[in-house]
Amino acid sequence: MSDLLGGFADVLTVQNLLYAAIGVTIGTLVGVLPGIGPALTIALLLPVALKLDDPTGTLIMFAGIYAGGMYGGSTTSILLNTPGESASVATSIEGYQMALRGRARAALATAAIGSFVAGTLSTILLTFVANPMAKLAVTFRASDYFALSVLAMVAVTALVGSSLIRGLMSLTFGLFLGLIGIDSLTGQARFTFGVPSLLDGVDIVVVIVGLFAIGETLYIASRLRELPSQVAPLSKQGMTRDDWRRSWKPWLRGTALGFPFGALPSGGAELPTFLSYLNEKRLSKRKEEWGKGAIEGVAGPEAANNASFSGVLVPLLTLGIPTSATAAVMLAAFNYFDLSPGPQLFEKSSALVWALIASLFIGNIMLLTLNLPMIRVWVKVLQIPRPVLYSGILVFATLGVYAVSGNIIDVLIAYAIGIIAMFMRHLEFPVAPVILGVILGPMMETQFRRAMLLADNDLSVFVTRPLTLTLLLLAVAAIGLPHLPKLFKRNRLALGEDD
Amino acid sequence: MGVRIAGAVVLAVGIGLFVQALTGANGSGASYAPLLITGMWVVVATLYLVKHSGPLQVRWRTPLLLLGVLVAYAVVLKYTVVGYVLATFVFFVVAARLMSTKPHWIRDLSVAIGLSLGIYLVFTKLLGISLPAGVLPI
Repeated sequence: MSDLLGGFADVLTVQNLLYAAIGVTIGTLVGVLPGIGPALTIALLLPVALKLDDPTGTLIMFAGIYAGGMYGGSTTSILLNTPGESASVATSIEGYQMALRGRARAALATAAIGSFVAGTLSTILLTFVANPMAKLAVTFRASDYFALSVLAMVAVTALVGSSLIRGLMSLTFGLFLGLIGIDSLTGQARFTFGVPSLLDGVDIVVVIVGLFAIGETLYIASRLRELPSQVAPLSKQGMTRDDWRRSWKPWLRGTALGFPFGALPSGGAELPTFLSYLNEKRLSKRKEEWGKGAIEGVAGPEAANNASFSGVLVPLLTLGIPTSATAAVMLAAFNYFDLSPGPQLFEKSSALVWALIASLFIGNIMLLTLNLPMIRVWVKVLQIPRPVLYSGILVFATLGVYAVSGNIIDVLIAYAIGIIAMFMRHLEFPVAPVILGVILGPMMETQFRRAMLLADNDLSVFVTRPLTLTLLLLAVAAIGLPHLPKLFKRNRLALGEDD
Repeated sequence: MGVRIAGAVVLAVGIGLFVQALTGANGSGASYAPLLITGMWVVVATLYLVKHSGPLQVRWRTPLLLLGVLVAYAVVLKYTVVGYVLATFVFFVVAARLMSTKPHWIRDLSVAIGLSLGIYLVFTKLLGISLPAGVLPI
């Protein structure tokens, strides 16, 4: 607890509060833009962040972007029915129906307040879980880390996206991208095709900009004339007493689903938001309202969405294992500052960790106070003409890559990944496994070889240690998991994809 | 049909990479992951090719043109003295025109001026990240 108070003391400086405010504002702004998620925003802001040279402030800002991005996504899905990210798909089902029936403000309010409630409660949970988890993580060995990265990758691949084969193909592509460059243990060059700048590997920023910014724009351009988008009108009336009565339980239940599923390697917010949607529908006494704007269908998933963010931070901070695309980018941000998340982070940079956690509380308050009054601004953002929006995205994407490296090859690689991403979207391949493959692949390989080295090349080390074996068996179970209910199947989209 | 072609291309690339992994393998610890991953690529791509088919509806013209403009933009930025502001201005106007059904010159030109100048000033003056100044006297 004293750790957390120290964190608050660190965050409550003018400068850090400013970073948090900038973070949630940019996050919401970009989250509102159709088709851009928090992962891309953080990737594009990395070069700027590196210049600021203030790790604490930057990470506070990134946490704000993540939270704001999720909230902005819900605004888009309620008013426009084009969820900017898969985690907002569940919200859009009932939310857009509410907006069409003149209840847009009530839907936005229950989303905002639910996000605040869930964000605050789940951050409290994070406070209690983080330290014990970090202590436990100290006992993890190389074989455990290997098994854990296998589990994280497999779970995301199996649970996100529309088919296992497509998910595996995306994952394989990511793993391949992760191979490119000099092998860290032997100094051997792999798949560099004689291009010198490939020796350092493909930077995660290049991959993310290619997949999300360039890929998304080319995809939109390849089906440009089929884009009808009508922003639902804002109503006058906010939440009624009845709305409050119907919302608070879904908020709490959504939180209870979101946090644990975020913390488990299950692909972030997509699964818990859908589970919350299904759960609220099952529990509802007014089944006739579902499909016509039932407020529980907005309150629950939105709470689950926000709570899962604090959940995702548990494995990211304590083990250094990202379980969603955005977490992978945040890991890259940590690496840029020569901080490696994991048990050591809590020992070496504990002030930074607690400042980050404290900033989540403050960010949540900022989001609540920022969003409801500023809703008219966000509606204006939604009305930016698509050609202007996407040309701007291309400018920023090129800038983001060029500013990081000053290297034209990196820019061209991002464009090439963008073409591949365009085809992936047409063929319904999920994007998130690519990013996790790039990040977790090298991690997995290193830990595997380290484990083998320690065990004198005896493969049995992966089956004799109970923790390692359990994690590997869980990975096998995740692949074999029977596919979830019909609705789930119909609405399953990959991270960062929308239609 | 389109999906089959895409699947075949993915498989062909996978086989190419697998062959490269095989020829590069020298028994060191660094050889196994490439073999494993490209091998997995070939297997999964084969499964995809067998199980998925159907049409692929893509409007080629706009994305191809956009891609051409993007590459030209990057090359101009790096290898010519045109500079960031001018190159970005032209790129934005052309890209926005490519994606619109009818011209909106005033809108696109004004956004292009604001965006290119704004980014240049913020990055070079405020953040200290250098961008090619080019021929414009700023």
